Amino acid sequence: MFFENVDFSSLEVPAAAQALREEVCTFLQAEAAAGTFTPQVGHAEFSAEFTRKVAARGWIGMTWPRRYGGHERSYLERFVVTEEMLASAAPCAAHWFGDRQIGPSLLRHGSEKLKERYLPAIARGECYFALGMSEPNSGSDLASVRTRAERVAGGWRVTGQKVWTSWAHKAHAFFVLCRTSPDTGNRHEGLSQLIVELNAPGVTVRPILFMNGYHHFNEVFLDNVFVPDDRVVGEIGQGWKQVTSELALERSGPERYMITFPLLVELIRRLGQAADVRAQEWVGRLTARFWTLRRMALAIALTLERGSGSDGGAQQATVDLATEAALVKDMGTFYEREITDAARLLAGVEPDPGAHDAFERYLAEAIVYAPISTLRGGTTQVLRTLIARRLLGPRP
Amino acid sequence: MNAPNEIRAMLVESATRLFADHVDAGMLEAAKRDGWSAALWAVMESAELPRVSVPEEAGGAGGTLSDLAAVLRVAGRYAAPVPFVETALLGNWLLAGAGLELPRGPLAVLPGAPLSGQRSGDGWAVSGKRGRVPWARIAARLVGLAEADGELLVVVVDPAACLIAPGRNLAGEPRDEVTLHHVPALLAAPASAGVTARTLRQRAALGRALLMAGALERALELSIGYAQQRVQFGRPIAQFQAIQQELARAAGEVAAAVAAALSAAGAVEQRGEALFEVAAAKIRTADAAREVTLIAHQVHGAIGVTDEYPLHHSTLRLWAWRDEDGNEAEWSIALGREVQRLSAEGLWPLGLAFQAQH
Repeated sequence: MFFENVDFSSLEVPAAAQALREEVCTFLQAEAAAGTFTPQVGHAEFSAEFTRKVAARGWIGMTWPRRYGGHERSYLERFVVTEEMLASAAPCAAHWFGDRQIGPSLLRHGSEKLKERYLPAIARGECYFALGMSEPNSGSDLASVRTRAERVAGGWRVTGQKVWTSWAHKAHAFFVLCRTSPDTGNRHEGLSQLIVELNAPGVTVRPILFMNGYHHFNEVFLDNVFVPDDRVVGEIGQGWKQVTSELALERSGPERYMITFPLLVELIRRLGQAADVRAQEWVGRLTARFWTLRRMALAIALTLERGSGSDGGAQQATVDLATEAALVKDMGTFYEREITDAARLLAGVEPDPGAHDAFERYLAEAIVYAPISTLRGGTTQVLRTLIARRLLGPRP
Repeated sequence: MNAPNEIRAMLVESATRLFADHVDAGMLEAAKRDGWSAALWAVMESAELPRVSVPEEAGGAGGTLSDLAAVLRVAGRYAAPVPFVETALLGNWLLAGAGLELPRGPLAVLPGAPLSGQRSGDGWAVSGKRGRVPWARIAARLVGLAEADGELLVVVVDPAACLIAPGRNLAGEPRDEVTLHHVPALLAAPASAGVTARTLRQRAALGRALLMAGALERALELSIGYAQQRVQFGRPIAQFQAIQQELARAAGEVAAAVAAALSAAGAVEQRGEALFEVAAAKIRTADAAREVTLIAHQVHGAIGVTDEYPLHHSTLRLWAWRDEDGNEAEWSIALGREVQRLSAEGLWPLGLAFQAQH
């Protein structure tokens, strides 16, 4: 029913990737020790300095062609790097979107000019992207976006408002999903994706503070912003198809079940050899569930790998695995909270965002982060609707 | 896709056809009364299914453990009322490893610590008492481990020479108490390297997890089919989001259970001993059983709890199997201890911890 073409019994990360893992591990330990970053559970921090260092190692755009600044490595190698970044709660926000969604999307749909303009800069860790999907009246119902682009000489004039735009205040550009022709009944038609550079005249970015005072969300106002024709991603009118395949990519990786993993590791460290049967049972169950999610995520990465051989193959693989990716995200985001609950109840400490102890601080961060994990990238309910469609077939 | 996968796909296809052709409501009802289906077993034997993963030199088909795992999953899906795990995954493994001849007929395997063996004439006699032995009273032979003169032996005994008190699990499968009082071993030979009471238990748990993966799939399939047929408020209940959300949640649990069970089979195939993966698989399938059986029955409404509707063939088995060969609490504690032993530093990178043991 799911993962039809995956052989779970022989699914392994190739031995060569273990050397890479150790390399990434060593790098992250050195950076943390040098104080480049403080691990933070929940929202990855934005650090241009860190992102440039990661880029210098060749760990951004790993699977992209060399001629666009990529490194032509495998999806499984990228998987290993992503795992390590998450296990260390590294500050990847500056390159996360570019590496995971913008890059693959440009490779598939972007013009030569767009690829040359952005991909090498993203891979160098110098160009940062955000995503302009949600609007005040378009959350789960993304096809209802009202931001519109009007045809003008040489390009488009874009007017509207985007919201929940993480890191728009630090990014250089963002993908904007907007309506380029009026809604004619089929809501999925007439949508397009444009790249808007955030320093363009008419763009205003205002912060929205998270409930703990943290600033990564923004609302972005677009007032008659000029976007030249060559910043259109893919085809005019094909925005819906493009954006849904991006979402499938967003949902498929370890970042959908590993956000609170550093808390689990700290919990195990804290329990040490003093763990009693109750703690052992809880940790054992959490480990089993983690391992299973990881097996499923690896299956997706491996399928992307196989699909990447022929032209457009990875795209096909992404489409085929959209439901599997939704499954992993749905279960993964709930799993992240299971870790938080176990840590809270086993340690018996009050959550303290100012704690010096890493475990105690992670716990406080994980509790406050929890609600957002099942909202972003598709709510639990939207994901389950998508899964049900696969189970039940198209509605008669 | 590589060649072994194609062979496995063909094997799964032919096994699916075999079970689909031979397992029906009448057979499952009769099996509740008789404890099993001798007719199904005969068909499986003539298709050589119990010997899928037995090496060719021992008279088997020479397939891998993962090949057998794929077929066990299918057997679980059809609730096949036969000692397939016990014969194919446990008994034949013990016997072939010890260089003993594989008898025809279904096997039961005595679980737990090795029996005690004593010299008896030219051979051995074994003694001990084991509770909840799957299929003992319908087995042609009982296979077990015995310790004799400091050596671990694989022994085969005639069930007629044992005292067997019948018992059953929730689904009516035989789970009998077997008492062996100086019972002569028909066959005995030293166990092969890697065969211990511990690895035997791991394999038993793996087998149960694989059957559960299949039973979970069937419970979901029945639920999807029923939701599409059952009309309430003027439309099939599958059109209600409340039902869809529950089916989607069940689908996630089923996918996780399948992934865990098949992955663990791969680990056992590669390393023999795989505490980490087997524990994870037994835990994950049991967790899924809890969620999926509840959802399946809820979607079915009252018809699902009746004797005439087939859902209970899957759900009763899931409720029985999750507690057999160690429940999820027991395996969680074992896995938790393993993680404690590895420590925080040893746990991550998990890729290393999972793959570099043993």
